Amino acid sequence: MAAQRSSPSAVQTDAVRAAVTVALGVYLVGLLLTVLGNSSSGSSALVRTIKGRLFAPWLVPAWLDLGFEQHLTHGVPEDADHALEIRPTDPMRSEAVLRLPGAFGGERAARWRRLARAIAIGGSGDPAVLAAAVGRGAFPVLGTQDVRVRVLRRPLPERRATADDGDPRQVYAARVRLVDGELQLLPSEPRGEVAPLVRPGEATP
Amino acid sequence: MNGLDARAKPANFANRWLAFWFTPTDPRPLAVVRILAAAIGLLLLWSYAADMQTWFGPDGMIDPATAAAWRSPFGFSIYDFASSAAAVRLVFAVTVVVFLLLLVGWCTPVVSLAAPVLWATLLHRGPMLAGAADDCLAVLLWCLAIGRSGRGLSVDHLLAVRNGRATSPPSVRCRIAEGLLQVHAAVIAAAATVAQLKGDVWWNGTAAWWLAVRQDSRLVDLTGPFGASEYLMNLVTHAIPLFEILFAIGIWPAATRTAVARAGLVAWPLIGLLAGAPLWGLTLATLGLPAALRTPPTP
Repeated sequence: MAAQRSSPSAVQTDAVRAAVTVALGVYLVGLLLTVLGNSSSGSSALVRTIKGRLFAPWLVPAWLDLGFEQHLTHGVPEDADHALEIRPTDPMRSEAVLRLPGAFGGERAARWRRLARAIAIGGSGDPAVLAAAVGRGAFPVLGTQDVRVRVLRRPLPERRATADDGDPRQVYAARVRLVDGELQLLPSEPRGEVAPLVRPGEATP
Repeated sequence: MNGLDARAKPANFANRWLAFWFTPTDPRPLAVVRILAAAIGLLLLWSYAADMQTWFGPDGMIDPATAAAWRSPFGFSIYDFASSAAAVRLVFAVTVVVFLLLLVGWCTPVVSLAAPVLWATLLHRGPMLAGAADDCLAVLLWCLAIGRSGRGLSVDHLLAVRNGRATSPPSVRCRIAEGLLQVHAAVIAAAATVAQLKGDVWWNGTAAWWLAVRQDSRLVDLTGPFGASEYLMNLVTHAIPLFEILFAIGIWPAATRTAVARAGLVAWPLIGLLAGAPLWGLTLATLGLPAALRTPPTP
């Protein structure tokens, strides 16, 4: 055993094993920190700082900075199916409508649903930027430079619900238009968030 | 604890570490993982194919600036430099060819490294489009890049046989790749369990119902059985995190590893089917495949 250890190949093997062990150890620490640091329930600033400074620069490009937060559902409205609807703002052209994912299914439809959900509830970026980009992307398809982008959510019916009210409901709407080369996004406030108009002197009910 | 025990424990850990990561193993289980990963990758690429120009084309919905705003500053995509429709098509076609070569095992050392690079670059081009299956496939592909998955069930192997230099000796690199697959399988199962148990629906037994009522994305309609039997709904709901906990823990002891991994070959695709994410389920089953293919220890 001693003779084997002193042979050049054994020394080389030990050196390689040591190097691989260090690499594995570093990666496993990075894996632990990325899982902790990407948790939606929050993690300490220290974990996020270490992960961000030491591990993100080489794990992010490889798409390995992942939290694996695959909760499947929490039964909240945000977990429902989302869809995208884009139509010209001009009411005379209202028959030209892009409904996505439309009739197709599978993973292709799932990607469109993720895009719609990202516009509705955000994520790692600004939903307004995404909505504006999606609206602009629809200009050539719809043949106009003024469109209305809507995200529709199909409600999740309660188990004890007697009637299945499965009609999709609007959760995001914005007008996207190009004016003098400038892209403009005009978000529509949901009716419930708009205060009623109060005129002085009028009796309030 | 006496001094002898204190010295023995680190040595025991070191021996276990060396045995786990550096025991040469047969490359064929990793070759099966390679074939499945490439097949899943091609299916996921197929889901991009029809909308490639709509999303990433010159007048697409997700321009490079929007993608950059949604990803980490360290993110990078080759597609950002593809400024014409032809260039986008070319990069995507190269990705498809690489996955096809990975599937058949031709030029495996090169394509097993190119596949995760091209996959990551595609996901970075539209991070808001990526899902759980995409994440898990990235992990699978990087593990394959480490191991010698082309040394079995591949065109490379057939060519080597024809040239009379075919050998498929057990390989340490295959063992490291298998070990990483096992670590990730356990980590993903544990992280999924923790994420699920943050929601009340996984405690009160109704999560299966909320999965079943997503009528656009579901693959099977189980609202009838779940509506009729609360016990069935509760059973399915609680079975999912219970299985995930058993998987995350049971994949480590030699006595339970094979059985748990084999159960995962059935359970993960079923969970994926219920969640409307069959490719995610298949990817997780593939992560545990090398452990499932091992011969269980004799008592």
